[in-house]
Amino acid sequence: MFDKILIANRGEIALRVERACKELGIATVAVHSTADADAMHVRLADESVCIGAAPAKGSYLNIPAIVAACEITGADAVHPGYGFLAENARFAEILEEHDITFIGPTAEHIRLMGDKIEAKLTAQQVGMPVVPGSGPVEEIDEAKKLAREIGYPVLVKAAAGGGGRGMKLALSEDELEPAMLTARNEAKAAFGDSTVYLEKYLLHPRHIEVQVLADGQGNAIQLGERDCSLQRRHQKLWEEAPSPALNESERVRIGELVAKAMRELRYRGVGTVEFLYEAGAFYFIEMNTRLQVEHTITEMVTGLDLVIEQIRIAAGAPLSLSQDDVRVNGHAIECRINAENPHTFRPSPGTITHFHPPGGLGVRVDSGAYAGYTIPPYYDSLIGKLIVHARTRNECLMRLKRALGEFVVDGIETTIPLFNSLITEPDIVDGNYDIHWLEKHLAKLGARGKS
Amino acid sequence: MAQKAGSFDKDVIRELAALLEETGLTEIEVEHDGKRVRVARGVNLTTTLTTDLPPADPRESARPAKRAPTQSEEFIVHPGTVTSPMVGTAYRAPEPGAPPFIEIGSKVTAGQTLLIIEAMKTMNQIPSPRAGTVISILVEDGQPVEYGEPLAVIEQR
Repeated sequence: MFDKILIANRGEIALRVERACKELGIATVAVHSTADADAMHVRLADESVCIGAAPAKGSYLNIPAIVAACEITGADAVHPGYGFLAENARFAEILEEHDITFIGPTAEHIRLMGDKIEAKLTAQQVGMPVVPGSGPVEEIDEAKKLAREIGYPVLVKAAAGGGGRGMKLALSEDELEPAMLTARNEAKAAFGDSTVYLEKYLLHPRHIEVQVLADGQGNAIQLGERDCSLQRRHQKLWEEAPSPALNESERVRIGELVAKAMRELRYRGVGTVEFLYEAGAFYFIEMNTRLQVEHTITEMVTGLDLVIEQIRIAAGAPLSLSQDDVRVNGHAIECRINAENPHTFRPSPGTITHFHPPGGLGVRVDSGAYAGYTIPPYYDSLIGKLIVHARTRNECLMRLKRALGEFVVDGIETTIPLFNSLITEPDIVDGNYDIHWLEKHLAKLGARGKS
Repeated sequence: MAQKAGSFDKDVIRELAALLEETGLTEIEVEHDGKRVRVARGVNLTTTLTTDLPPADPRESARPAKRAPTQSEEFIVHPGTVTSPMVGTAYRAPEPGAPPFIEIGSKVTAGQTLLIIEAMKTMNQIPSPRAGTVISILVEDGQPVEYGEPLAVIEQR
């Protein structure tokens, strides 16, 4: 086991990792920028090192500074948290070259899954379903035949495309020919290449992701799914486990598929395989080769500490449990408390004057915030996570409502009022939402506010 | 209105600059009618020092200090303080056994090497930002240093 772990991150996740280290009896080193000298992760660590100036490029993304901090403190492993250097294959390699363990997957796996095209190919090879698509198409008759095989609606996409240009939707066969023409013209104009292909378009997909735990020695288990469909601009705001949309057979099917794929890849550490889900079918999007923000809800329903498992695996231990040992109990929901205006989502850095986190049975708050803490403007706006756990989804919603009512964060704006209003929405109560629901809902509220 | 504010600032700055000369201070800051003006002269503070000094906070003194303030921390406000641009291990001499780059009382020129900081097996020479006299050396040979940690004080002559 390691003697000393350096945590190459900040905020709530640095604190989260410190807690796991302490429970394992491992000394901790916090690194921080000049802007974070008073941060809670620095105050609670056994040692701390200032590694650079406030902008992340000079500190939390500064690989030489982090390696030097390991050298001067004698840390024998680094936990990258999420974001910053967590999915930087070069960082993992440099640490290994300095005989420091990177607590995460191999550099090859990070690289493989970081390349979206390679990742999709690999997913297909290990038997995971991907969004059905075609190769380049020219003739309209051929396109019609392919579209029928894929199933409408289909998206006509520019092969050289990106950023939504050269992309046209065809809801039925009537719309395919005009869509092909427009997409080809746009593609020609934007990219100088009129080649297009077809892909299945999902109208109401949910975001379902499967948590995996693997030891790099050929053992891999899955810890159930999370539903992260409530998003704004691809930023998750509310996550729950299990998903209110899956039935038991779908749950078992996707979980087993992912675990088998991870065994085949000989994956190491924690990871998340993300899918779009619509009408009983799953479509691979990407794999995240790190701990995720919302790992907490999986911890609540399984009773496992994912960071402790991560550290054990990095130290070379085989999995401490088998698939049969994993039990999903009850329901958990996480709300991301961001320092943002709850209507415009404009960041709201500043000093927290009062801070009172909720408590009671089944309530967990992971946060580095405290009264008197000044949120620096340099980093992301997540200041904490409210996680509630109960025996059923209904109990969980009532508990969440109660906990949100207790939560006090004064001096800055937060997303708490947004969650207070979401929890009374019938669609949320019924679990009836897809990845577009939140943006549509916010647009509706905005329109109502203006009139 | 804008012009009025501009002339107000100019006058105040002139007045403060004169006051600096008269008193021999290096810095004056005044607040009046919601406007704050700061005038400083002489040696250049490094940007880290000017932007990152924590705001005066009454809680600061009440909060238990992680460790007792060391001699080096007293010098952080000295305008001649040279701070570390990186994390690493400080060395006072070019190689083990060699005479140190500087001693207290050494006269240095701008750009002259004060010490070396090793980070990731790379030796980084730390140059003097100005010509002057070394009045204090705040690190031992082989001491680990953080980003922004005071290394030495060079008084301008």
